[in-house]
This record gives sequence, C-alpha cells and structure tokens, in this order.
Amino acid sequence: MSRLALVVVALLLAGCGPAGEPPDLASPVTAQRPTPANTEIDPDIDTGGSGDEDCGNPTASLRPTGLATPPGSTMAEIKRRGMLRVGVDQNTYLFGFRNPATGELEGFDIEIARAIADALFGDPDRVSFKAITSQQRIDVLRDGTVDVVVRTMTINCERRELIDFSSVYFVAGQRVLVTKRSGYTGLADLGGKRVCATTGSTSLGNIAAAASDPVPVAVDNWSDCLVLLQQGQIEAISTDDTILAGMAQQDPTTHVVGSRFTTEPYGVGIPQGDRDMVRYVNAVLRQVREDRWQAVYDRWIEPALGPGSPPQPTYRQVQR
Amino acid sequence: MPHPAGRGLRSVTRPAATTPGRLTLIAVGLIVLTTLAALTAWLAVRDRDHTLTELTERREPLAVAAQQVYRALSDADATAASAFLSTGGEPEELRVRYENDVAMAGSSLGRAASDPAASEAMAAQIDVIGRQLPVYTGLVETARANNRQGFPVGASYLREASALMRSEILPAAERLYRVDTARVAERQHDAGGFPALAAVVVAALLAALVATQLYLTRLTNRTLNIGLLVATVAIVLGVLWSTAAVTTQSALTGSGRRDGTEQVDLLVKARIAALKSRADETLTLVARGEGGGYEAEFARLTSRLAGEDGTGGWLAEVAADAEDETPLADQVAAAQHSAARWLRTHATVRELDEAGDYGDAVRLAIDADRPDGATAAFLALDDHLRAAIDAARQSFFDDTTNASRALTLLASGWIVLGVVAALGVGAGITQRLREYR
Repeated sequence: MSRLALVVVALLLAGCGPAGEPPDLASPVTAQRPTPANTEIDPDIDTGGSGDEDCGNPTASLRPTGLATPPGSTMAEIKRRGMLRVGVDQNTYLFGFRNPATGELEGFDIEIARAIADALFGDPDRVSFKAITSQQRIDVLRDGTVDVVVRTMTINCERRELIDFSSVYFVAGQRVLVTKRSGYTGLADLGGKRVCATTGSTSLGNIAAAASDPVPVAVDNWSDCLVLLQQGQIEAISTDDTILAGMAQQDPTTHVVGSRFTTEPYGVGIPQGDRDMVRYVNAVLRQVREDRWQAVYDRWIEPALGPGSPPQPTYRQVQR
Repeated sequence: MPHPAGRGLRSVTRPAATTPGRLTLIAVGLIVLTTLAALTAWLAVRDRDHTLTELTERREPLAVAAQQVYRALSDADATAASAFLSTGGEPEELRVRYENDVAMAGSSLGRAASDPAASEAMAAQIDVIGRQLPVYTGLVETARANNRQGFPVGASYLREASALMRSEILPAAERLYRVDTARVAERQHDAGGFPALAAVVVAALLAALVATQLYLTRLTNRTLNIGLLVATVAIVLGVLWSTAAVTTQSALTGSGRRDGTEQVDLLVKARIAALKSRADETLTLVARGEGGGYEAEFARLTSRLAGEDGTGGWLAEVAADAEDETPLADQVAAAQHSAARWLRTHATVRELDEAGDYGDAVRLAIDADRPDGATAAFLALDDHLRAAIDAARQSFFDDTTNASRALTLLASGWIVLGVVAALGVGAGITQRLREYR
C-alpha cells in the first residue's frame, strides 16, 4: 500500500522543476528620436572652395547709377509684371520669419526686400515672397523663379561665379550657439561632437573645415537646428551671430559663445548678367543706408546684438 | 496450441465466409460510413458558417478599425497644418477637430490591436503607431507653444511632426490596413471554396449504398429494399440541399466581395488619397515656396483619386461597378462632384499663391466658413466617401449575413438525414438477415 502511495507521489512530481521563464509581452524598447525632414549627419561637404583667390575682393559690386527704370531693362520687366519676386527665409528669427499673429513675413531681410519694391512701385507691399532653403538660393536665381534673393546670403567668390551680388548691406560673423549648462566656449571644445548648420551654407563648410574636427549636421532651415539642439540631438549650432542671436531669443537656456571666426558680408543675390538690376539695387541700398538702415537695425537686431552701423559699400574700379 | 493472433483473425474472417455474416459486416460498414459522411458534411457546413460569421463580426470590422486609424491620423496631420496657417490664434474648431482625431486614432488603434489572431506583421505595424503617436502629439504641442510666442522654431517643430507622421506612422497604418484587408479577402476565398472532403465521403457513401442494393438484388431476386432506399433518398436529398445552399452561399459571398469589400477597398484608397492630398494642400502653404514636393504629390494622388477633373480614377471605377440608384451610386456621384469642385478650387489657390496673393490663397484654402473654399469642398468629398464606404459595407454585411443564413439549417439537416440513413440501413439489412433464420 505505501509503495503505491510512493509511486503516485513520484508521478505527480515528475512534472515539477524549473519551468523556464514566463512569457514577456512587454519587452523593453528604446525611444526613437524624430528628426526634421532632410536631416543629414556628417554629409559630404566640399570644403575646397575653388576660386577664392582669383576674384579679388568679392564684395566689390557695380557702382549705382540711379533709380531710373528705362524701357527694356530688367526693372521695367518687373514693373510690367506688377510684383517683385523675392526669395526669402521664413524660419530665421529677426531676419526673415512668419509672424504667427498676422501670418506676414517680418525681419531685417524682409525690410530690405520691401525697400526694393518701394523704390520700384512706390509700394512696399508689391512683393511676392518665396520661402526658400539655404540650398535653393542659387538655383532659384539661375532658373528665374525669383528676381532677387534676400536671405542672409554671404558674398563669396565661389557664388560669384554663378550669380551676381549687390553691395554689402550687413556684416555678420560666424560664432557658436550652445546650451548654457553644456559649458562649451567655442568650436575648439566641440571635437567629435555634432554641430548643426543648413545644407549648402558657408557655415556648414566652415564647421567641416574646423581644426577641432566636429561632426557637421545638415538641415533645411536654421530653426531645424534649434529643434535638434532642444531635443538634445546635437551639441551646438554654428553660423552667423545674427542668426544665432535670433535663436538665443527663442530659447533662454542657450547662449552664443566664442568670438567671430569668419566675416560674412551679406548681399542681395541677383541673377548673373542682370547688371542693370545690380546697379539699381545698389542705388536702393545707398538710399537705405542713409534713411532707414539704422531704424530697421534698431528694431530687429539691436536688442539682441547691441548697437551697429551700416557697412560701407565697395565698388569695382573698372566698369566690366 | 493455436496462436492467439490467428484465433483473433479467424473470429473476424469466419463470419464473412457465410452470407448472414457478410450482411452483418456490410450493415456495420454502411452505418459507420453514414455517420462519417453526415459528420464530415456537418463539420464542413458549420466551418463555412463560422467563417462567414467571423467575416462579418470580426475580420471586416477590424479592417475598418485599421482604416479609421489611418483616417484619423492623416486628418490630424492636415488639421494641425491648417491650424498653423490660421492667424491671430488657433481657431477653436480646428483645435477640437485635431483633438478628436488623436482620440479617435488612439481608440481605433486599441480596437485594431485587440485581434487575438493578429499576425507578426500586424503586431509590428501597431507597435510603430503605438510608439510614435505620443511622440507626434508631443511635437505638435511644442510647435503650438512656440507658435503662440511668435517663435519661428514652432514651424520647424510642426514640420518635424509632419515628417514623422508621413514617413513612419502613416505608412505603418496603411500597411496595417492592407494586412487586415488581405485577411478579409482570404476568409472570403475560404468561404467560397468547394468542400472537397465532405463531397468525397458522401459520394463514397452513395456508391456503397447503390452497390449494396445491387448485391442484395442479385442475392434475393427482389428489386426493392425499403430501408436502403430510404437511406439513399436521405443522402441524395442531403446532396441536393447542400448543392443548392452552397451555391447560394457562394454566390452571396461573391457578391458581398464584389459589391461590398472590393468597393470598400477602392473607396478607402480614395479616401486615403483625399486625406493625403488635403495635407499636401495645406503643407504647401505652410512651406510657402519650399513645398514643391507637396504640390507634386497632390497632383499625383488626386489624379489617381478622381482623374484630372473628378471623372476618372478610383471614384470612376467604383461608380462603374455600382448598381444605379443605390445609396452607394448616389454617394459616389456626389463624391465625384465634390472632388471636381475641390480640384477647381485648388487650382485657384495655386494661381493666387503663384501670383503672390499669399493671404488670399491661404484664406481660400483653409477658411471653413467659405462655401466656395477648398475646406468646404474637401469636407464634402470626405463626407460622401464616408457615406459611400458605409453603403458598400452594408451590402457586404447583408450579402454575407444572407449567405450565412443559407447554411443555417443545413448543418442540423445533415445530422437528421444521417440518423435517418443509418436507421434505414439498419432496418433494410435486418429485414434480409431475418430471412436466414
């Protein structure tokens, strides 16, 4: 009898012992961070910069001749159309951005564009703004989509081979924006770290060429860089101090550090060969420097960067 | 001493050597075969009925839930962009619409995920949506907060949110819908197939019954055996009934597919294309010149939706297959009309924007109070598409439910017929056996 009981117990216990692990339906996952459309980490960047030596002073433009718009000129064609088409930025605070309260574009560059329309039509609102990315600036001029580009565009020899520029209307310099808690003081601290700039900008080339060897990150718009910085996906943004100042105003936990390590003279981009238009825009800018440059600067830039004065234009000696 | 296995074998074979023994064996064999045939037929019919019930009660509603996830998400994306374009603060109705879309997406996702038979592919899509949707809403709220303060970084957050929606979440929702729809088609195919096993077994039974009667006629010179005749008639009745019922059911399942789910699928494709195009329309304006890609997609999608002027594309396909003067035909015609109106308005919006009248273009595109605006035309199109989907779903439901009804009595019918046939076989053979006493 007791033997039978033993057998029963043995049979019951045969199924006991380690049973493996319970099934786990909630296996751990890590968050995937989103990125702005067309973000590229460490893209191929041509840092060669051909033609830097041969064009002399790239900021030397054609001497203005006056505000006349003779028949057959580029200006007459624009007047016939009734609208000045301008390529601008709509995402760069203080220079070209959309005011959500009104839906209108505002900023320093926008006022320069309006000044040109004002001179042509006597009406600063006869402007058709096309928002473009940094990369599109030269293409839209070359394919005739716009008449001029006013979009924090640095005058340099490389671009001069493809388009023409007006005289200088603003001088900026490249610096670095970082979060205050990071403790970085300039590009030298950012070796191997991700630093953001827009695709096709001179700033991106400067980041790639920096001695400390940071990792460049390319995006479509400057604001996309700020998104990435706020999301902790990059360590710094490096571009013109004017643009950085606009970002620092949108996020008080960031600040601009280091000294200017480049000089960025801004000019109005004009399709190559429209020499009459270059002279005309230069005439408008000459007037702007005299009557409203200071007011526009004080309204947009002064609160962020302190006092400033209009840059003096240089013109070519030879009439080419 | 005889071998035990040999003795067992002889006990089975010995009765077969005599006629009464052979008759007993035939009776047992026939009764077993009858039971088998009735059971197989009963199982086949019940299986079909279950498939049809599963279609109407589970598979098709799940596909609709997946479609709702897509619709809600896509609408949320378009609405967020519209709200961004509105100046002077966000309009209440857009805010409410966006919030309802997100709530709807979450709730429909839960329902779509409640499928115990979800495949690996379905679970993977639900996983993507479930993980990324909270990220998306977070980005939209960040965009909103920045926008309120007048910071252009808000626009960048919105673009990032939209890129996430369009590159990750919506494709997952679309794949989920595709998988769910494929399952519906699979089930419809299952319910329309030929019940081969049951047919073979029943045919074998009929052959055996006929052969037995021929053998008995030869043995006794009597032409009729009432019991076996009753059994044969019962099985023939079952075959005729099954043929009629299964033919009816297959025809109804087929028309449920043609007039129902296939039309629903085309209409859902159309609705998804309309929603995507609407988001493209608003995002083109948000991008203000950087949006060439959105406008190209708008043209591509709307031409597949309704052709160049509302008379082509998927809508025309649905209209061609829809019977005249049905609710479906009416709704599709109305949808085509709205699509044509929307395309015309959209062309005007683009002309205004190209000509530099950005403010007018935005107002024409997003102002919901303008009867001639793009919003009104799009909402009418979406509404008609929704109603058309409901109408096509209804005909699927009606046809498939009727198909299921065609089978309702047949399953129990086979049990009754099986019992009758078995009794007939028993009685018929017993009668012959008595003659050998």
